[in-house]
Amino acid sequence: MSASANVEVNAKDFIEEDPIKLAAFEKHVAEGGLIEPNDWMPQAYKSLMLRMAEHHANSEIVGALPEGEWITRAPSLLRKLALTAKVQDEVGHGQMLYEVAQDLGKSRNAMLRDLVTGVTKYHNCFNYPCPTWADICMIAWLIDGAAILNQGTLAHGSFGPYIRTMRRINMEEAFHFKHGEDMVLTLMSGTDKQKKMAQEAFDRWWDPSLAFFGPNDRTDERERPAMKWRMKTATNDELRQKFVNRFAPAAMATGLVINVCKKDAEGNVISAIPDPLLKHNEETDSWDFTQPDWDEFFRVIRGNGPCNKDRLALRRFSYEQGEWVRRAILHGATNAPCNN
Amino acid sequence: MLSRARSNVPKSTGDLATTEVDGFPVWEVFAQKKQGAIHVHAGSLSAPDASMAQLFAREHYGQDQQCISIWVGPRDIFTADGGEHESYEVFVQWVAGYRHEHMGEVSANNGAEAKTKCIEQFTGDKDYFTIWSAPVSKLTKIDGCTDMIWRETTDQSYRLAKGYSRVVRKKWDAIRAKDAVDAYQEEDLEDTF
Repeated sequence: MSASANVEVNAKDFIEEDPIKLAAFEKHVAEGGLIEPNDWMPQAYKSLMLRMAEHHANSEIVGALPEGEWITRAPSLLRKLALTAKVQDEVGHGQMLYEVAQDLGKSRNAMLRDLVTGVTKYHNCFNYPCPTWADICMIAWLIDGAAILNQGTLAHGSFGPYIRTMRRINMEEAFHFKHGEDMVLTLMSGTDKQKKMAQEAFDRWWDPSLAFFGPNDRTDERERPAMKWRMKTATNDELRQKFVNRFAPAAMATGLVINVCKKDAEGNVISAIPDPLLKHNEETDSWDFTQPDWDEFFRVIRGNGPCNKDRLALRRFSYEQGEWVRRAILHGATNAPCNN
Repeated sequence: MLSRARSNVPKSTGDLATTEVDGFPVWEVFAQKKQGAIHVHAGSLSAPDASMAQLFAREHYGQDQQCISIWVGPRDIFTADGGEHESYEVFVQWVAGYRHEHMGEVSANNGAEAKTKCIEQFTGDKDYFTIWSAPVSKLTKIDGCTDMIWRETTDQSYRLAKGYSRVVRKKWDAIRAKDAVDAYQEEDLEDTF
């Protein structure tokens, strides 16, 4: 799973750049050229790219937490193997992305520390609860499905190390997605109880899936640095529309109902009515739909979601538990005799 | 559970009296190591039903060692003399304490006749210790051609998108028109799938 690139550029990043170098850089990027870590780049590009990779890495390792909790409760050996492999993949993605971010000038330890102290963020969708096995199925189908759509476009970006990592990651996301699809289809061709469980999980995850792509586009989206410098190649709203076009008819075909839901503070659905706007629009040849609850989105992203504290506490626990290992390794390295 | 079932296999009498462990039936597992090799008795396990037995067999005997096919059947069918007219797989244990080896398939009216036919067709005058016969209808046979999950033990395709393509397609086809599935799966064809 992944983050969408919705990090902001701070005013302090816009230092005066050498206009000749900047022009050459922008020409290179506009012509489809790639940027490598040692190439000259504007400070704002470096800073934004670092934050994108770091946010993405954070999301991978936090995203593994709710899924990891379900490994022991997987309903069959195949599912257990696949979920174990998925969690292993996600943490591996985090590993690769922290590598990319490190090359842009921030140490891994600083990134891990900033994550547990709340300085940096991870993807908002992991702040929602995952109370049943069907939630695991929906995360794999919808959230990993959304991640593939998003990362498919990120893989055409301009920063070499990031897009290479993205291609490798997408191969594995494809497995997560396909496995999720298999699990959802299994539930939806099962008993009434299985179908009900799937529908309830779908109600919990449809909204976070729409919000996955980030807030609505600004009018100047394409002139903003992320798109101007080809770090993103599609806008949030374009990706969201693409997602709905693909998943709405598929979900309905399985028998799932697309509802507009209200949730309580714990993330439980308290009311669900079929999306009144949902229909195939013949003119645009795409699907109309109700936007996710943006008030809720911003409330959760500011730290007041159902699971923000739990996720961070667990991550922090692991970080602190591993402290002596890091110290021992460091200590050992500085004092170990070199026999070579 | 597995090791307890295994330790209950009688060694030298050919008598398989224990058909339950902890209330679960005991199952016999035969494994084929490579193409052209015969199925050899791999061991036993206890499981509540055939599908769990199949899973345990695959995990335990298929994962432990290289193997391309597994047969699993409830213990009592191997020694039974009764049964219907059908095909039987027959297995010979040449020497006490050695493994049963698959000899071939015979058509017979019951288990006893299958064992007699096994002597006629396969053992001839050679000494043997015990013979098992199992009606084909009661054996679960797993290999890479019949079972998608099987391949996980050799090529780990359970962690690849393509490992699910066939089964997912089948499930979609059951609930959705062909062109709708094609349109939906078009996205899959791009680079990563």
